[in-house]
Amino acid sequence: MEKTSSGFKALCGALGLIAAAGVAVWIYQLMGGLAVTGMSDGTSWGLYITCFMFFVGLSAGGLIVASSASVFHIEEYKKVALPAIILSTVCICCAGMFIFIDLGGIQNVWRMLVGLNFMSPLAWDMIVITLYLIINIIYLVMMTSKNLETRSKVRIVSRFALPVAILVHSVTAWIFGLEIARDGWYTAIMAPLFVVSAMDSGLALLLLALAGLQKAGWFTVEKKLFSNLAGLLATCVAIDGYMVGCEALTMAYPGAEGADMLAIMTSGATALFFWIELIVGILVPFCILVFAKNRQKTGMVVFASACVVVGVFCKRLWVLLTSFVGFAVSTPLGVIGGAEVWEATVGYSPTWAEYVIVAGVFALGTLAFLILSKKMLGGSKKAAAAGSKDPAQEALDGLVTEGAAS
Amino acid sequence: MKLGMVIKPSRCIGCDGCTVSCKTYNALGPNVVYRKVHKFEVGKYPNAKRASFPALCNHCENPACEKVCPTGATYKDDKGRVQVDPDKCIGCRMCMGACPYGARTFNWGPQQSYFPHSEAGNVIDEAVAPRHRVGVAEKCTMCKNRTDEGLDPLCVHNCPARALVFGDFDDPTSEVSKLVATGRTYTLLPEKGTLPQVHYMD
Repeated sequence: MEKTSSGFKALCGALGLIAAAGVAVWIYQLMGGLAVTGMSDGTSWGLYITCFMFFVGLSAGGLIVASSASVFHIEEYKKVALPAIILSTVCICCAGMFIFIDLGGIQNVWRMLVGLNFMSPLAWDMIVITLYLIINIIYLVMMTSKNLETRSKVRIVSRFALPVAILVHSVTAWIFGLEIARDGWYTAIMAPLFVVSAMDSGLALLLLALAGLQKAGWFTVEKKLFSNLAGLLATCVAIDGYMVGCEALTMAYPGAEGADMLAIMTSGATALFFWIELIVGILVPFCILVFAKNRQKTGMVVFASACVVVGVFCKRLWVLLTSFVGFAVSTPLGVIGGAEVWEATVGYSPTWAEYVIVAGVFALGTLAFLILSKKMLGGSKKAAAAGSKDPAQEALDGLVTEGAAS
Repeated sequence: MKLGMVIKPSRCIGCDGCTVSCKTYNALGPNVVYRKVHKFEVGKYPNAKRASFPALCNHCENPACEKVCPTGATYKDDKGRVQVDPDKCIGCRMCMGACPYGARTFNWGPQQSYFPHSEAGNVIDEAVAPRHRVGVAEKCTMCKNRTDEGLDPLCVHNCPARALVFGDFDDPTSEVSKLVATGRTYTLLPEKGTLPQVHYMD
C-alpha cells in the first residue's frame, strides 16, 4: 500500500479536531443540561433527533444493497458490498450517538437494561438497532475474513440482514408514528415512508461514497454498476414522492385538522423544508436520473445523489417539527395551542452548542469511514492496478454462483 | 382506588389560584406549570364574554405517556394516579410527544429560582426536589403527599369557586362518581382513547 498522503493526514486531523470540539461541547451540555439547546417543552425534540432519523436512514443503503446481492442473487451488487457495509456500520453508530446525546438523564440509562418496558417503541428501537449493528459487524468480519469458507457464509447472514434493515427503519418510524398526540406523526404511512426515505438517502450516500472512493483511487466501481444503482435510486425517489403525495392528499381532503397541519407544511413554519424536499430532494433528482443518458454521467449521478441527501434531511426536519408547531388540544370553549399549554413558546432554533455537537458527530463519522475504508479497501486498488480480480474474490464468486445454482 | 376529578369550567372565575397554589406547593420554577387556567373569549362583541377552562394532567386510565416510556419511569400508582419516578427517567421525552394534553414539562436545566439573590427563597421541600432534577420529565402528581393522607389536592382545596371536585371513581358513593353518573360530564379528546380520570361538566 502506498504511503499515506499528507493531504489525507491533514483531512483526518481537521475532522479529528471538529470531533474533539463536539465531545467538549457535549460535556458542557452534560454539565448544564439540555437547557443549552434550543429545545423547550413545546418543541421537545430538535436537531439531535432529526440527525438520529437521518443517520438511521443513511445507514440503510449499504446494508440493503449488500444483502440484496445475496438474497436476490444480484451478482454485481456484491462488488460494492464491502464499502456499502462500512458505510452502513458507521452511519448506524452515528445514529446511536445522537440518541445518547439527546438523553437528558443519561445517568439512568442502565435502566434500559434492567427494567425495559416492551410496550415502548424506544425499547424496540434499542433492541433492533443493537441487532442491526451486530449484523453489520458480523458482515464486516465475514467479508474481510481470509477464510473462504467463512466468506461464503455471508449468504446466510444476508437472509437476516435484509428483514432487520427494514425493521430498523420501521421501528424508528414508530417512535413517531405511535405517538397518538401528534396528528402529523400518528399515521400508518410513517413506517413505509421511513423505509423508502432510508432507501433513497442511503443509496444516494452510497453513490456519493463510491464516487469519492473512486476519485481517491481506493476502490474501482464499474460504470455500469454505478448507473445501475442510480436507476434504483430514481425508483426509490419516485416511491418517496408518491408516498408524500398520498399522505398530503389524505391530510388535506377532509379540510379539518389534517388540513391545518398541511398548511403549516406548505405555507407555515416548516414550509421551507417541505418545498426543498419536494423540489431538491425529489423532483430534481428524479428528472435527472430518469434518463438513462444522465445515469451514465458520474457528475450527474453525484449531483442528483447530493440533492437526495439534502432533500431527505429537510424531510426529517419537517416530519419532526410540523407536529410540534401544530400541537393543539380542543375544548368546548376553543382550541388550546402549544404556546398556551406550556409557558415557553413553541418556536425552535438550534443553539451553537447543538450545531457544534452535530458537526462533531458528522466529523467523527466521516473520519471513521475514511479510516475503515483505507484499512479495508486497501487491497482492491492494487488488484485494480494489476488489471485482474482479487483471487480470493474470484474464488468466492465461484462458490456463490455454485450456491445459487444448486 | 381510582382518584380523579370533575372540573366545572362554568364555575371557574379565572383567578389562577389553583395554578399559584400548585406552583408554590410543588416548588415550580419560572416557566414551569403543572396546571393552568386557559382563558377564552366566547361569542362576538357586543355579546362576548370571558370564559375559563382549567386543565391539568388527566391521570388517564390508559395513559399514552406510560405506554411509550422505555424504562417504566412513568407508571400508574396504586391509587390510579400517573406518576414519574425521577430515578428511572432517562430523559428521552417519548412521553412529551405522546401526551395529547401537553401535561408534561421537562427539566431542561437546573431549576431556576424566582428569587435568585435570596437564600431563603431557594429552599425546596425535600419531598418535591427529586422531581426537579436536571434531565427528567415531571408533571402533576395529583398532590401525591396530600392525597395519600386523604386530603384534597391543593388546587382543589384552594379553589374559591368550588369549580374542582376531587374523589375516587371506584367508590360509587363519591361525589365525582355521582357527577359522572348524571351523564352530563365529558372528557378531553376522547377519540385518543386515553380514558381521562379528569372529567368536565358544564
